[in-house]
Amino acid sequence: MPNDFSFEMLTNYLLVGATLMALGMLGFLSRRNLIVMFLSAEMMLQGVALTLVGFGRYHGNWTGQVFTIVILTVAACEASIALALILILFNRRSSLDVSLWQEIREPGQPAIVEPESQAEPELAVAGPESYPHLLTAGIEPPHPTGAWSNRRD
Amino acid sequence: MDTLSRFDLINLVFTIVTGCCGVYLLLPHSHGRAKPILAHRIGYVFSSLSLISLFLFCRTTNVEFVTKAFFYIFAVASVACAILTITSRDPIHSALWFAAVVLATSGLFLLSGAQFLAAGTVIVYAGAIIVTFLFVIMLAQKEGRAIYDRMARAPFLATLASFLLLFGLLLALLGMRGQPVMGSGESKNITYPHRVVSAAERLRTRNQLSSKQILVLTRSLPASSELPESRLQNPDAAPLASGNHVASLGWTLYTEHLVTIELAGALLFAALIGALAIATPRAPVRPTMGIVVNAQPAEAKVS
Amino acid sequence: MDALVRNAWLVPFLPLLGGLIAAVGGKWFKQQSHLPVVLGIGLAFCVSLVLVASVGQTKVAPVPIEWLTISGLVVPIQFQADGLTTMMLAMVTFVATLVAIYASGYMAGDPGYPRFFAVVGLFVFSMTGLVLSANYLLTYLFWEGVGVCSYLLVGFWHSKPEAAAAAKKAFLVNRVGDVGFAIAIFWMWVTSPTHDLSYASFLGEGNLEHLKVAAPAALIGIPLLLFWAATAKSAQVPLYVWLPDAMEGPTPVSALIHAATMVTAGVYLVARSTPLMVMAPGVQLTVSAIGCITALLAASIALTQTDLKRVMAYSTVSQLGYMFMALGAGVKGVTEFAVIAGMFHLFTHAFFKALLFLSSGSVMHAMGGVIDMREFSGLRHRLPVTHWTFATGALALCGVPIFAGFWSKDEVLSSLMLAGKTANASEGSGWGWAYYLIYGVAILTAFMTAFYTGRAYFMTFWGPERLPDPTSAATHHGSTEPEAVHHSGGDAHGHSADHGHGHDSHFGHESPPSMTIPLRILAVCALLVGLIFGPSHLFEHHLKQTAQLEPTATEHAIEHSPDYVTMVGGTLAALLGIGLSYSLYFRPSPVPGRLAGQFRPLYLGSLHKFYVDEFYTWLLVRPTQVLGLTANFLDKYLVDGLVQGISWIPRLVGRHLLGPIQNGLIQYYAAVTALSVGALLLALFLLV
Repeated sequence: MPNDFSFEMLTNYLLVGATLMALGMLGFLSRRNLIVMFLSAEMMLQGVALTLVGFGRYHGNWTGQVFTIVILTVAACEASIALALILILFNRRSSLDVSLWQEIREPGQPAIVEPESQAEPELAVAGPESYPHLLTAGIEPPHPTGAWSNRRD
Repeated sequence: MDTLSRFDLINLVFTIVTGCCGVYLLLPHSHGRAKPILAHRIGYVFSSLSLISLFLFCRTTNVEFVTKAFFYIFAVASVACAILTITSRDPIHSALWFAAVVLATSGLFLLSGAQFLAAGTVIVYAGAIIVTFLFVIMLAQKEGRAIYDRMARAPFLATLASFLLLFGLLLALLGMRGQPVMGSGESKNITYPHRVVSAAERLRTRNQLSSKQILVLTRSLPASSELPESRLQNPDAAPLASGNHVASLGWTLYTEHLVTIELAGALLFAALIGALAIATPRAPVRPTMGIVVNAQPAEAKVS
Repeated sequence: MDALVRNAWLVPFLPLLGGLIAAVGGKWFKQQSHLPVVLGIGLAFCVSLVLVASVGQTKVAPVPIEWLTISGLVVPIQFQADGLTTMMLAMVTFVATLVAIYASGYMAGDPGYPRFFAVVGLFVFSMTGLVLSANYLLTYLFWEGVGVCSYLLVGFWHSKPEAAAAAKKAFLVNRVGDVGFAIAIFWMWVTSPTHDLSYASFLGEGNLEHLKVAAPAALIGIPLLLFWAATAKSAQVPLYVWLPDAMEGPTPVSALIHAATMVTAGVYLVARSTPLMVMAPGVQLTVSAIGCITALLAASIALTQTDLKRVMAYSTVSQLGYMFMALGAGVKGVTEFAVIAGMFHLFTHAFFKALLFLSSGSVMHAMGGVIDMREFSGLRHRLPVTHWTFATGALALCGVPIFAGFWSKDEVLSSLMLAGKTANASEGSGWGWAYYLIYGVAILTAFMTAFYTGRAYFMTFWGPERLPDPTSAATHHGSTEPEAVHHSGGDAHGHSADHGHGHDSHFGHESPPSMTIPLRILAVCALLVGLIFGPSHLFEHHLKQTAQLEPTATEHAIEHSPDYVTMVGGTLAALLGIGLSYSLYFRPSPVPGRLAGQFRPLYLGSLHKFYVDEFYTWLLVRPTQVLGLTANFLDKYLVDGLVQGISWIPRLVGRHLLGPIQNGLIQYYAAVTALSVGALLLALFLLV
């Protein structure tokens, strides 16, 4: 019955919630794009919400869901303000990089600049040269000879 | 933790270690001379292994097959999409994967009987917040892949920290398995308390009374504390007729958690004003001899 | 009468009150600050006269104030008013009153006027307290007090580096002596069975007999140490070096402290401890010998000095030597005669030496601060009062009959002769020849005394009238003499004191009445005091009313006839000396120069004070400076380095170890937080 919600099930929910939380934290700590950082924070909130709903279901009262609604509200507020702030920060430096904002360090400490060699090499994205070359309308284009999976190299 | 069996411990360590390696490899940073594609593939492998071993912990006895299946689908989907969110190089991909996470989580909400919340999460999160994110990305993203998208900060330290935390959490959770929180048996037959379908309710649906009149009538209803809150506290109460889930939730919100609602509303209002105040760049108008000096919006003083 | 003795505390208290009023009210009194002090000292003099008159009724009256009460050591504040004390009190307060009146004229216009009189009041308090104390520890307290006041007064013009150095030297050399006094007190306390340090108790027969048996070493050590303290305070060899330098202070200070009062404290102490001294004839001989050496040395230095005040200073040292010669002659059988002779010389010396200093000050005042005798001469017409008062004092110092010094010097010499005879007698110590030798040297010293006194008198007041240049007087530095190289303050610069205040109005004129009246009074005293108190035995009888100076039963008081040989001998020496100085210095002549050239090594030695100061510098001052430098180095680099090293640790930890954690990257902060939370969680679950 869908009304069965045993302690084991609760534990499962909690496991998932914990995992989401941890992964969200990982994303927050390691990414440098302000947007992705914030997305990860939102993911942490999702994990928490899942935990809350599980507990609410387990105890059989509305409190879990009510608080999740509140979390939803808070997430919305947070998103709006955070994005406004991100916009302003972007306007200042024209970049979404969080490494640019280091002024709260101790005076006397040098700014931390990570060398570019640590970045992943960019994968080449196919440019216009890979777009299909369309002939002018009305003329039948040449049919491809090779397999369709070989189209994009 | 005495309740952790040896299998559990090994599984736990395996999960954490493989998860750590997998996510570390998946995070965007230079792997020396190794090809990035190879690193990604190995990372995927490890992450999948970790996922599988994580879900080995889930015990689903006494649960229907359908419930079980849907649970696993949603749970795996959410975790997998979470990993993909944090390791994508393109922020737009991250946002989309996050949308998938939200959908999976809503599915889990649905499974545990929080239908309103499921819908609400999808609408608000996936519909509003993520769309806002995408708009901001559109406004703020530079052409092409930025360097900061391809470079994670201290991936090893971050991964270590997070998985250490996860290790602790899982240890705690798994250790509690033998001890239910409220020791009254394994399987519980609980329903959410539905609002008693009273005469007043029937009155409204039939006679289209105004809400004010309803209020007067419903004052005569018994106080909410007299309602059977849960079978947990009152196991002899008969299961109520299937009432309106949303209505019950609303009733609870506005009677027990009224202050919370009001506060949430106030918070929203404040956030609205705050966002407006922050985000609109204003050019300072200096009233000097009628000449208006317009500063650049980007350099405008933050008010 | 008990009531009177109980009011003996008035004598120190009144000058102290005057000094305090001058100190506190100096801002309002300003140039009238001398009034409370003169009044206080004058009233103290009246009280001391009353005490003199009433002596004999009671000897000791403890004031019921306990000063120290430590387990085993109870030191009450005890005053006594016996013969010795009251004599000293009367003399001290009399001279102090006159000097204070003189100083009100001499120091007029000085910006530190109130401070001067405040310290003078304090000084008189300390000195009178010293002679009034009835136990050794209280005496020591006031002993230190006079030392401090001497420092404050000698260094009165503290902005002058020589004055500051001289004050420091005076105080430090006195400290060297005070160590001896302190050790003597400790020894006394240790050896006396009753731990009572009062004179009556410690110097009583019973205690001394007990000491002879129980601690014979103390019987030699304690008197020796007391004499060591007296050596410092009363400027004997080897600790006399401070007194000539102390002439950097204002002249009234020299007159009061270094002629009449403070330097007599040592003599007083030795006199007071007579019963103790008698038990150690060897110590007495030492005292006499040192007195003799000092007298000879000081007189020979005074022969060539050109600074009038320095001549008087060395003369003081020499005369103090006389006093100690007499005190040391107090062997068994002659004791109270010799000691009373010494005290009589102290008494008369106070008057004529104070007179001499004050007239020198008057000369200096008139000469615009110049005191080098080579700069002026023939002042007898310009400064008539100063002239005849100086002459009176000089005659008294030389020991010319009728004048005060004659009687006292004669008694000193007779006591030496008697001591020699007694020592050579059957139960004597056999050291009689030493006393005869000392006697001979004393006669020689009398001759030298007369010579240099006459020299000073004739060089100053006779010859053609010459005045120093008034415009250059203030900045005079007539130092082409070799003595300029002595930096320790002993130089005979023509300008031995700063008289920065306008003297042009007084230049070349006689001093104002506030200065001449004390001179006149002291001159009368110098003439008559010996005559009145000496031959009539008034002094002797008064002083015999002291517990320590009463003839003991075992002594047989030697009946002595007036010693005409000594009288004639002393007079002859004096007249010879005056005659020689007259012939050399009455009018300017090249003879002294030629004599100096012929005896050049002796002359130079005398001029340079026999290089004693240089010797002390090499022996004591330089090692102390090296020690000081070492201590400074250690302090700056070791101790401070250690402290700074410790202070360096938080800086290290903060800035270099923990500072880099705050690197400004929020993700880093969050990562550290997360790591800590994870670790904490694990710790809680695994360890708890």
